[in-house]
Amino acid sequence: MAGVNMAHNPNLTYLSRAQAEKIHAASLEILERVGALIDDEESAALLRKASVAVGDGDTFHISPKLVEWALSVAPKRIVLHNRNAEPVIPLEPGRIYFGLGSDCLFILDHRTGKRRQATLQDVNEAIRLADALPNIDFLMSAVLPSDVPTEAANRLQMRSMIENSTKPIMFVTNDFDSCLDVVQAAEFVAGGAKLHEQKPYCCCYINVTAPLRHNVDSLQKLLFLAAKGLPTTYTPMVLRGVSGPVTSAGAVALANAGELVGLVLAQLKREGAPIIHSGGYGDVFDMRTTTGAYTGPESYGVRTAMGAYYGLPIFGLGGSSDSKLPDEQAAAEASLTLLFETLGGANLIHDVGYMESGKCYSLEMLAICDELISYIRRYCQGIEVNDETLALDLIAELGPEGDYLPTEHTVNHYKETWYPRLFNRNHYDGWLAEDGLTLHRRTQRRVEEILQSHTPEPLEGKIKQEIEAILG
Amino acid sequence: MELFKPIVEATVAGDEERCVALAQEVIDKGVDPLQAIEQGYTKGMAIVGDKFSRMEYYLPELIRCADAMKAAMDVLKPHLGKGQDGGVQGTVVIGTIQGDLHDLGKNIVKTMLQAAAFTVHDLGCDVQVRSFIDKAEEQDVDVIAASAILTTTMAYMPDLVNLLSDMNLRDRFKVMVGGAPVTPEYADEAGADGYGENAAEAVETAKRLVQSRRGGA
Repeated sequence: MAGVNMAHNPNLTYLSRAQAEKIHAASLEILERVGALIDDEESAALLRKASVAVGDGDTFHISPKLVEWALSVAPKRIVLHNRNAEPVIPLEPGRIYFGLGSDCLFILDHRTGKRRQATLQDVNEAIRLADALPNIDFLMSAVLPSDVPTEAANRLQMRSMIENSTKPIMFVTNDFDSCLDVVQAAEFVAGGAKLHEQKPYCCCYINVTAPLRHNVDSLQKLLFLAAKGLPTTYTPMVLRGVSGPVTSAGAVALANAGELVGLVLAQLKREGAPIIHSGGYGDVFDMRTTTGAYTGPESYGVRTAMGAYYGLPIFGLGGSSDSKLPDEQAAAEASLTLLFETLGGANLIHDVGYMESGKCYSLEMLAICDELISYIRRYCQGIEVNDETLALDLIAELGPEGDYLPTEHTVNHYKETWYPRLFNRNHYDGWLAEDGLTLHRRTQRRVEEILQSHTPEPLEGKIKQEIEAILG
Repeated sequence: MELFKPIVEATVAGDEERCVALAQEVIDKGVDPLQAIEQGYTKGMAIVGDKFSRMEYYLPELIRCADAMKAAMDVLKPHLGKGQDGGVQGTVVIGTIQGDLHDLGKNIVKTMLQAAAFTVHDLGCDVQVRSFIDKAEEQDVDVIAASAILTTTMAYMPDLVNLLSDMNLRDRFKVMVGGAPVTPEYADEAGADGYGENAAEAVETAKRLVQSRRGGA
């Protein structure tokens, strides 16, 4: 079974109920007092129709009442389906799923070890690798290909995701037109718009300019998807100390306010429109290097706690690194962020395999994270406590100096222990004889082996033709 | 001059009150204000810049020091001789190119340019190629700096250079570009004179371009 099931296990309560309520109240106050700029006509009309006050400078001042209404009608559960219309990702409390990120401009070529501009072939390989990795549950494009016309890039990413894997897709498009074609393709695969609405095979990630400045393309995509009943995120980002307060609470309150604007508009367009909520991205801005850091400890905990407070499906971010290579720093940052997000209850954790604060993608990193996720899943399973697992009779039978190795009990249960695929536990000499490599080097080989050997389930010829006709 | 050392210290400390008091002292004692700038405030800011690049200072400290120096400049400038600009590094018009509403990176570059004693005219985001050029002409700037975060909007960068050529202004202004998708190779292809991978590099590029423009003019 895919994903992590947190039914009986540890979870992290990062904010007290009172703290979460205070942040929520702050988001409401921001929307009412400051208001948001809405660049799209249809969105503005929807807000006016809902009696939203328009202030000086065309700011829309959304009332707490309207936000509370939107929160009350947005669905608490969303189910994503794979290419074969199987319900593989139920987004509900305690169920955690992992996927790639999208649109990195660079890739660390696992064959040469060099960083270079990404190509369409890199998208194909990333998706094939993701298809093969058992702990990666959903797809994003990984990289933005530089070797195809810019206006074709988003469509070709979608085509690659449909052709090279059966896993559910989260797509990103820059412009509205690509979004229309991408959804049309997904609908065709699902057997029509109606069937796709019931069993969505794709969902969208909308990246909004700023929490209080909502650009045309983002709003058009949001309303289009809401009308179709297709799940999407609506995620403005705050860079702490630059485009919002430097403090966690304020940054998250502001970013969350922006997300709530999307939530309100989606519900005004169609009551019950499925929204995946992040709880407010307030990324750390590194005041020494002027980079937007992905893995600052301040970025974790608060966001997922806000998502949990709303009880909406939660969008998360983990398995990423600010390092330039899949090195020790990368492994540490990926482990910690995957664990924080999982324990925080994020349902859909994206950006697995991101390097260099989102600028570069690494297939080795994706494969290392696959191993980390499997580790975390085992941890989150918790343990069974019963007569069989306590084994009191066995302990009594064997006495103070028992030899447990030859017993039936050990034979019956030893396979319940987690074993690594990439991490090495061998003795020193054994490790040397095996390959004597670091995790990174070993993973490079593993990635190439998978790419050489894995054949994704082929797409039926007729569907493939139609997809090509739609997406180019 | 015994005043210069405390000026350097006050600038490095980002102590605005003291920077201004010392500037007043420069005037009261009849010290050459240009010398006070060059051997005091500018020297202090050079130390600040070093500390920032060594990651000893954080961006807000850099900004505070620059603000302290600027406040002192306001006191000194009226006393400068004709044609003396008081250590202004150069003039830049900056903006995020048309179709693009992302101004985070551009704002950081602007702040750092100001901290490095550039005069900056900020056109905001979604700036038409023509507007960059109009502002550059109006303010007689040294450098036009354009930012893009999308590959789609980055494509307007060559248009900026081409339009400058069409208007016979290509030699008059230096053009620098930056933003997430922009690479040095792309900057070359677009016909830009310079590129900055990050804000600190953008400042170095701007300094180099100003020198080459003024040296070459």
